[in-house]
Amino acid sequence: MFGLEAIAHNNGWTIAATGAGIVFTGLATLSLVISQLHKLVALLDRPPKTIVEVVVEETKPIWMPPDCPNDIQVAITLYQPLIEELPPDFELAELYGLAKKYHLPHPHLSIRCLRDAGKLQFLGDGLFRYVA
Amino acid sequence: MDLILQFLHNTGFYLADYRNLIMIVVGSFFVYLAIHKNYEPLLLLPIGFGVILGNIPFFKGFGIGIYEANSVLHYLYFGVTSGVYPSIIFLGLGAMTDFSFLLANPKLMLLGAAAQMGIFFTYLCALGLGFTAPEASSIGIIGGADGPTSIFLTAKLAPHLIGPIAIAAYSYMALIPIIQPPIMLLLTSKEERLIRMPEMREVSRKEIIIFPVVGMILCTFLAPASIPLLGPFFFGNILKESGVVDRLANTARTAIIDTATILVGLTVGASTQGDVFLNPKSVGIFLLGAVAFSIATASGILFGKFMNLFLKEKINPLLGAAGVSAVPGSAREVHMMGQREDRTNFLLMHAVACNSSGVIGSAVCAGILWSFLIG
Repeated sequence: MFGLEAIAHNNGWTIAATGAGIVFTGLATLSLVISQLHKLVALLDRPPKTIVEVVVEETKPIWMPPDCPNDIQVAITLYQPLIEELPPDFELAELYGLAKKYHLPHPHLSIRCLRDAGKLQFLGDGLFRYVA
Repeated sequence: MDLILQFLHNTGFYLADYRNLIMIVVGSFFVYLAIHKNYEPLLLLPIGFGVILGNIPFFKGFGIGIYEANSVLHYLYFGVTSGVYPSIIFLGLGAMTDFSFLLANPKLMLLGAAAQMGIFFTYLCALGLGFTAPEASSIGIIGGADGPTSIFLTAKLAPHLIGPIAIAAYSYMALIPIIQPPIMLLLTSKEERLIRMPEMREVSRKEIIIFPVVGMILCTFLAPASIPLLGPFFFGNILKESGVVDRLANTARTAIIDTATILVGLTVGASTQGDVFLNPKSVGIFLLGAVAFSIATASGILFGKFMNLFLKEKINPLLGAAGVSAVPGSAREVHMMGQREDRTNFLLMHAVACNSSGVIGSAVCAGILWSFLIG
């Protein structure tokens, strides 16, 4: 038997079509699986979730200077220790620098308040002295 | 005087048949090609020498020939007829194969699948020419361009054709530089041959190790009859990639595969005894083998062009020609063809990916055909 008759007799068309289909499907599936493999590996490589115990420490209340630059008593209380760090005759810029260093609120207004109250005496040449 | 005459009657000179002489010439030509032309010497030298060896005329009945029970060659040939040598070769092949290129670009696996169409086309042609279904399957598998797979399937379905089919399969593998380039040029335009492949991503070690396990499970679940080939293949690969058994992997890819290749080549060559080999069927097998190989190459290329219709990032359709599992011959040929058009276009690694896919594809095809016809 030869030709198309032989092919049909041996179920050739079905075997060829099914075989080709199976090979193609199989390799396409394998291709799909390996294309996702790196995602699976990345998933496995992800560091395990650890339970982090959050310990809330009791925080001591931070002392905040009173926010009232026009109150002369407060200004004296805050700025006297700073003035003691400076030489007897100092420039306002030096006092301002220290106030900024210690994060005191409203240094400009506070220093002006001290001047207006006569606590900072002008000596000339940009120098001042604290008057108790 | 009688003793001398009797001796002379038992010599090859007296017993020589013209068919043996033809085959000795063929075997010598193979040896010449292997040594002088360097055409697949690892295969053609043992086969060629085996052809010469198997065609030395001898007095039948002494247990000398490969087809005579109790002969040494017959015992060695058992590894072929039982399918043991192909499995061992696949073990070594697995230990040599680097799947990272395929893992980096999995869509290239489809080209390996497409190139298997040559097998089924030739199967139909062989049926049409009057071969039986098992014979047609064994002839069709030549299109996979995989010697061990061809031998394995033929040993299971049509053992009387092992000689011509193995010789045809290995000969066409050796003739890749002659068969494939004209088909590549015919089916691709210059612009297509100039397409550059994107740089491959880096593949992690875990992916490389997981792949042989996943690949084996998926392929053998689909075609359990391919276990004797794909089992050792993926096992060899995990030996290599695991990195913990370097000694075993090294032995598999050197001593073991070399021993099996020597024995396969020699015994398959010796199985081509003129009186058994030279018949019209063998001529038909050689012709159909050429058809199988050509169609496999063409279907891979055409499928590459088909994929380009849908892909944003085009692939070089030449890679389809490497979908046949002739490792690494066809990959090398694709690379050289690409370089002929553009010296700076490197296709080798991508072609190797298609090649490895082709090995898997042809083994799956063998399993499918075996399971269809085993009943």
